[in-house]
Amino acid sequence: MNLGQLRKIAAEVVAREDVKYLIGWKQGSYGYRIAPGFVEDAAGAAELIFSPLCTANLATYLTLVEKLPVPRGQEADKRKVALMVKGCDSRAVTQLLVEKGIHRDEVVVIGCPCPGMVDPALLTEKYPETEETVEVKWSGDGFLLNRSGEEIKVPRDELLAEKCRLCRYPNPVISDILLGEAVEPWELAEDNGVAEVEGKDVGGRWDYWEEQFAKCVRCYSCRNVCPLCYCQDCILDRLNPTWVNRAVNFSENTSFHIARAFHLAGRCIGCGECERVCPVNIPLGRLNRKLAREVRDKYGFEPGVDPEAEPFQASFKPDDPGDFIL
Amino acid sequence: MSADYEPNIVAFLCNWCSYAGADLAGTSRVHYPANVQVIRVMCSGRVNPLYVMNALQQGADGVLVSGCHPGDCHYMEGNFRARRRLGMLKSLMEFVGVDPRRFHMSWVSASEGHKWKEVVEKTVEDAREAGPFEGFRRQQIDW
Amino acid sequence: MLLNKDKWPEFVGRLAGKKLLAPQSGGDAVRFAPVSDGEVPMLDFKNTRVPPKQALFPQTETMYRFQLGTEEIELPQLDEETIWLGVRPCDARAMAIVEKLFRWDIDDPYYLKRRELTTLVGLACNEPGLNCFCPSVGGGPASTEGLDLLMIDLDDRYLLEAITPKGEALLDVTGDLLDEVKADAVKEKEKVVSAAEKKIKRTVDTEGVSAGLPGLWEDPLWRRVSAACLGCGTCTYLCPTCHCFDIQDETEGFEARRCRMWDSCMFEEYTVHTSGHNPRPTRRERTRNRINHKYSYYVDKFAVTACVGCGRCVNLCPVNIDIIEILRQVKEAL
Repeated sequence: MNLGQLRKIAAEVVAREDVKYLIGWKQGSYGYRIAPGFVEDAAGAAELIFSPLCTANLATYLTLVEKLPVPRGQEADKRKVALMVKGCDSRAVTQLLVEKGIHRDEVVVIGCPCPGMVDPALLTEKYPETEETVEVKWSGDGFLLNRSGEEIKVPRDELLAEKCRLCRYPNPVISDILLGEAVEPWELAEDNGVAEVEGKDVGGRWDYWEEQFAKCVRCYSCRNVCPLCYCQDCILDRLNPTWVNRAVNFSENTSFHIARAFHLAGRCIGCGECERVCPVNIPLGRLNRKLAREVRDKYGFEPGVDPEAEPFQASFKPDDPGDFIL
Repeated sequence: MSADYEPNIVAFLCNWCSYAGADLAGTSRVHYPANVQVIRVMCSGRVNPLYVMNALQQGADGVLVSGCHPGDCHYMEGNFRARRRLGMLKSLMEFVGVDPRRFHMSWVSASEGHKWKEVVEKTVEDAREAGPFEGFRRQQIDW
Repeated sequence: MLLNKDKWPEFVGRLAGKKLLAPQSGGDAVRFAPVSDGEVPMLDFKNTRVPPKQALFPQTETMYRFQLGTEEIELPQLDEETIWLGVRPCDARAMAIVEKLFRWDIDDPYYLKRRELTTLVGLACNEPGLNCFCPSVGGGPASTEGLDLLMIDLDDRYLLEAITPKGEALLDVTGDLLDEVKADAVKEKEKVVSAAEKKIKRTVDTEGVSAGLPGLWEDPLWRRVSAACLGCGTCTYLCPTCHCFDIQDETEGFEARRCRMWDSCMFEEYTVHTSGHNPRPTRRERTRNRINHKYSYYVDKFAVTACVGCGRCVNLCPVNIDIIEILRQVKEAL
């Protein structure tokens, strides 16, 4: 994608009177880091970028903004928020529309067709991070790293993020403005992560997740980063009744993670953010993808594709599978 | 596992069908295993997955959720919703490594005292085979 | 004293009998884990993801147990002596800084008892991480503050420096494995330490920050730096100096315990009142509080910055909220 075009359109959008600000990606403070950028003027728009490192799903900021009471005598700011989205992010926006978490009039969606993102963990493992900014670009069938002048070409397969290998919607499913050309969806990889867990017997799976959940420090970053975890009053925060104790131990952590994954059944759009942000590397994506597959195979439902769809967990079909019922 | 191990089962029964069905089993003097602790809820659709988690954390070795037959729900569609949600929960629990024999769902109507007996026998038998679920107990009483 | 590296397994063996923890790479991230008998921990790591503050301040700590309806309480028996091997100087320094708070108005029995039972064996950093900035906040790659014993890696041997009587006791137990320090080792140590200091790339000038922060209370910079914040607890839970806790009662039947667990000022519910009012209603106020607490309030109270420059919050923030960058912006706004 042409960065000049992106910045020009972004500047036009933020100049609009009905737009409060634009959320996009900008260069982070060092190395490979990308930071979410909140743009209010043309100068800010000139900092925006779109690169294979822009993994963050910015749709989460649509619901993260605190709704403070409007002081007496003042008007509420009803202007729109402009949001840059990749394919997966646009599905989050669609799912938010389905759930009426946001209203279509409140957002301007700027779609960025996405040729696939780099996995930051794989990248730093192969090419250690530096304090200098490293530019990463798409180039033909691969990625191009520019490390202090030295250009390194890396094949796509080596660095492509897992969520992108499994992505079926690289193009935004919803957008008001589409930047650049749509990309051709690629061949899907096998979901090795889920298959690895499924290949174990029940006891083996328990042991596997016991090791994973025992690491959890309950920082709630997986919940907070999720564009679809936006309850004002999260049941996992409740103290009366306390469904999940605050104590951090394997039992409570397991309960927390089962509840978190369950609440995303039929809602998770597979942006992989929960897994990316986890400070102790719990493969949360596996839980979500397992459920997403169940929902697709057994119930024929796919979240975040059709803004007119009924929410999965708030609807039913008379012929839903019931073979597990005694 | 000790020979005299008796599993604890927590059963969430809907007020309108399954609870009445269990009641009928009692008044008809049908014998069924005494391992079941019944919690009455207004509808199987009200059963939150965290109920199931909490039951397992607090000493249950198996959980049963039972409601009206499809189409018979007092609230028209609560059991359909329960079927979808708890079906997902069952898959998820299996994926996490909870023995599938620990969680069951059934439809028992107010007139099915005998079916209730069969369901309980199956649930208890399965939980007995699966053994005590110590791994998931709340650890709060430890230091 | 000097320890030849081929005697390292034997050295570790001598410590058996006490509970021993050391950093271990469990597949992905390095974390502290108990060392089983006969196992020899390898000290080739940068730093652990989760800091060893849990040595003295566990994430969940039972303060006492009680039975509902009775007035008796049962206190925990803290008597297990523990050795933490391979604590980085920044993390140990953080424990010394936090100890000031736990000794402040009342002596916290849990923290201090654990400190008494714990021997912290440090390992100086020869290869600081990318986001390490300890010299900017008063530390250094071979700082000894908070440690009982410091080990410095001199390629084929370790230089051991006892800092406290507990550290000396360790040297006594292992005395026959150790050699006397000669002048060349001292020289080598100086070389290694200054080389490590030179490898630290990121720096920040914190002069005037603590005095200037109160004046920036309503500065637009807080909106700017907190806009991307997700309100998760990564920065605070992984911070070696963050020490906020919450106290809760957990019951099961009539059994109950009162425990304290880590809390994070970045959570919305941290300050929310029973009425529903929240004096820190947005992420702006919460971020401002985090920076002020570290660089202003703590300095006013204990004359030391509650940040040791370990770089964890910079490394692991999901949205690149970089505390070094925030400090730079604070300096600019002063």
